[in-house]
Amino acid sequence: MAERIYIFKRFERFWHWSQALLIIFMMLTGFEVHGVYSLFGFQAATELHTIAAWTLVSLWVFAIFWHFTTGEWKQYIPTMEKVDQMLKFYLTGIFTDAPHPFKQTTVRKHNPLQRLAYLFVLAIINPLIWTTGWFYLFYGSWGNWGFGWLSLEWVAFFHVIAAFMMLIFFIAHIYLATAGHTVTSHIKAMITGWEEVED
Amino acid sequence: MMKAVVGFITGIVFVGIAGWNMADVMMLREIQSPYGVEETAARIQRNIQSLSANGWTLSGLRNPAKAIAKSGSNVPPVLLVEACSTKYSGPILGEDKTRILSILMPCTITVYKKDDGKTYIGLMNAGLMGKMFGVGDIMAQVAKDQVIFTTFDPKKPAPPLIKIKPGGGGAGGKSADGC
Amino acid sequence: MLKFNYKGLSLAMAFVMSLGISWSVQASDAKAPDKVPTPSAAADVFGIAVDEKVKKSTADHSKFKELQVDFKDGPAVTKACISCHTEASKQLHKTKHWNWDYINADTKQHLGKKNVINNFCTSVPSNYKFCTACHIGYGWEDDKFDFTAEEKVDCLVCHDTTGGYKKLPGLAGHPNYKTMEWPPHSGKFRPPTDLKRVAQSVGKTSRATCGACHFRGGGGDAVKHGDLDSTLTNPDRHLDIHMDAKGLDFSCAKCHTSDSHEVAGSRYEPTAVDDKGTLIRGSKDERNAATCVACHGNVPHSGEFAKMNEHTDKLACQTCHIPAYARGDKHTKMTWDWSTLGEMDEQGKPKKIWGSEGKVLYDSKKGNFTYDRYVIPEYQWFNGDVEFTLADTKVDPTKVLKINSFKGSPDDGKSRIWPTKVFRGKQMFDKGNNTLVITSLSDDPKTALWKNFDINKAVEYGMQYAGRDFSGDVGWIETEMSWPITHMVAPKEDVVDCHQCHTENGRLAGIEGIYIPGANNTPLIDKLGFLAAFLTLVGVLIHGAIRYFMHKRGG
Repeated sequence: MAERIYIFKRFERFWHWSQALLIIFMMLTGFEVHGVYSLFGFQAATELHTIAAWTLVSLWVFAIFWHFTTGEWKQYIPTMEKVDQMLKFYLTGIFTDAPHPFKQTTVRKHNPLQRLAYLFVLAIINPLIWTTGWFYLFYGSWGNWGFGWLSLEWVAFFHVIAAFMMLIFFIAHIYLATAGHTVTSHIKAMITGWEEVED
Repeated sequence: MMKAVVGFITGIVFVGIAGWNMADVMMLREIQSPYGVEETAARIQRNIQSLSANGWTLSGLRNPAKAIAKSGSNVPPVLLVEACSTKYSGPILGEDKTRILSILMPCTITVYKKDDGKTYIGLMNAGLMGKMFGVGDIMAQVAKDQVIFTTFDPKKPAPPLIKIKPGGGGAGGKSADGC
Repeated sequence: MLKFNYKGLSLAMAFVMSLGISWSVQASDAKAPDKVPTPSAAADVFGIAVDEKVKKSTADHSKFKELQVDFKDGPAVTKACISCHTEASKQLHKTKHWNWDYINADTKQHLGKKNVINNFCTSVPSNYKFCTACHIGYGWEDDKFDFTAEEKVDCLVCHDTTGGYKKLPGLAGHPNYKTMEWPPHSGKFRPPTDLKRVAQSVGKTSRATCGACHFRGGGGDAVKHGDLDSTLTNPDRHLDIHMDAKGLDFSCAKCHTSDSHEVAGSRYEPTAVDDKGTLIRGSKDERNAATCVACHGNVPHSGEFAKMNEHTDKLACQTCHIPAYARGDKHTKMTWDWSTLGEMDEQGKPKKIWGSEGKVLYDSKKGNFTYDRYVIPEYQWFNGDVEFTLADTKVDPTKVLKINSFKGSPDDGKSRIWPTKVFRGKQMFDKGNNTLVITSLSDDPKTALWKNFDINKAVEYGMQYAGRDFSGDVGWIETEMSWPITHMVAPKEDVVDCHQCHTENGRLAGIEGIYIPGANNTPLIDKLGFLAAFLTLVGVLIHGAIRYFMHKRGG
């Protein structure tokens, strides 16, 4: 028998899906800007990538505001010891228990694996992609900011590395979204807000 | 969700392949010329004249880039060499069924420069066109002639460009009205 | 209601007057068979000049008694000019246009037309009569020309507004005063120059007057520069947005401002980068006024084009704004191989072979040429320093010799990537001494190459004339010259598209020291990145598959 709990509030769901679309779109345009394929044309791709970036920035401003006013930010910053335990648990548990997916026990929003992934996103991918992206956007101001010694090549290099990490996260994230109580329970929760959890 | 991943990747791959193959899929062919635009056009004109036995005459030379320049914009050089052969056009124009193909007349070969600075020749894929419209036999002949039009003999010196107004008669040709 | 409209009347009168003058002059113009550069263009140019005269100039030169004279020659006209414009010749005596002699302050190289050697007609000494058709003076026919003579300055070649004044090669800078067959052996005859009419119609310089020489650099229309040819006399909008005859209609002098007859802008000391912003009128700043920045400033793009401002640390404006040169239907010369000269036809006479575009591909006097139009420039880092190979510079015949090498690098902080025309040639050099040579081409009947077709004799005399050592051994050396492309600025919608550089093997492929998103992708990182993504995909698919089968078995 499954129990239903309300996990994702309306703003959170809106944030998730709009961010998802923006990130997919930014990967699509970004890899074109990088010269991997030709889809929109270079000029359109850069312009769209920039527009999407600014949209994401404003979305983040709202999201940060929301997380701090609601106290939800705590969901993303696990304590260090907990992270340690969960890391260990999932690094070993995932191998042994993968054939029989481990039961979802937490009543918290994110299971430990998600937390781990988000920690990675928040602590590594995002800082890298946002810093380099910001420098990319303001290439003309490096001198005024005292960053005249930076080279576009290295900024682009780290931006691309971050983009690849994002792509990998994206693939894994989509897969793990199917790793709930049932294949679709996480996805449903992200849409409706209600997650099915085992008793 | 797996579908989405697969879809995303297939999408990219598909777009790539489609773009790559577009030129072949279409009914136009593009070949690079070793000469400049004027010389390529002039050599094609000479080759067309060499096939007067097949009824070919030159019926015009257009310079659409000039008109665009007049209206204020830049386009790299383009010359349209127009030729026609009553031998081939006669049967096509004689049939109600195929008369609409006159839209493709006169036979145009385009010579142009691209942003890489190189000269290209654009041709209709006469063979494929003919098959599609049920005039395969005639167009197969045209396709054969097209090969001769675009085969150049580097030993021959550059001939002068023959500047005939479109619609004018072919230089020394049999069908003075240029089809 | 019946208020008299003076303004309207005077405008109407001015219009009628200009029509009248323009008609009368055109009528007399029609007698002159050879106009610069085409009959209609000359009439237009003149139309503009008349207009300016009525509206702007405070002096009608046709009313001056000094000019109501039948002048016997050019210097007689100049004497009349300097009887009022007393300092004019003294000013001109200080210019490059007069001296053809120039010392670059930075490199200390002794440059100027009479000193440099190029890979077109190569060199001036011993060919003065011919070359000085483009000198702003009269009678420079050998190395004994008096550079202090005031009456020898040619005012008319720059200030003519009629199009009826033309200095022909071989006359040492004079126009023809007698009826003369021109071009030689053409059967066409040019009547004597109507000096009186030309002198009475003087006005400001124009694209036609500057172009009379500068459009014809290298010996003919469009030959040398690629971005300067006679199509700029009356250009359409597409060809040059500033000089568009129906639009802004800039004269050359609009950018190439002058002070005491010294004209701004020089190929001997070019300005590759100007980061000081607009040059305000009245400013004491002695910067070159003939730059884009002098008017447009350092932050010229706004709104949706603002990102373009972030390209200006690497690119010259011209790199994007001049998508191709020789866009005006004229073919510019791309290569010149002197080594094939001297081949004669069956009758043993000099011959010419024409190409499909109607240009000479082979000339017994000069060798082989190739041409092109709408040419995509070659791009190079350039900081404004140019090092010339001069007559005494030692050359290495095993390599292609850069006669003028453009200095610059991505790291010196003062270079930009510039569009250039690179003109390639093969020309005579002194095989024994490894130097370029001075060649007698045109003047001396006994030695001139174009009269005798003997390269050894021509070089020997040229070198002797210039007082240079010559080993007696003529060889052929491959050479290159670079010409910055800066005219023929396209309308903004015709700028070079982003993707033409931001792509693999784009326009700037091979330019070092620059990262171009979309062009220089990092192959190793790309490979690793996509491999990692692919492995992740495979990983989750396997993981999923195991889950699926385990679940099925378990279920």
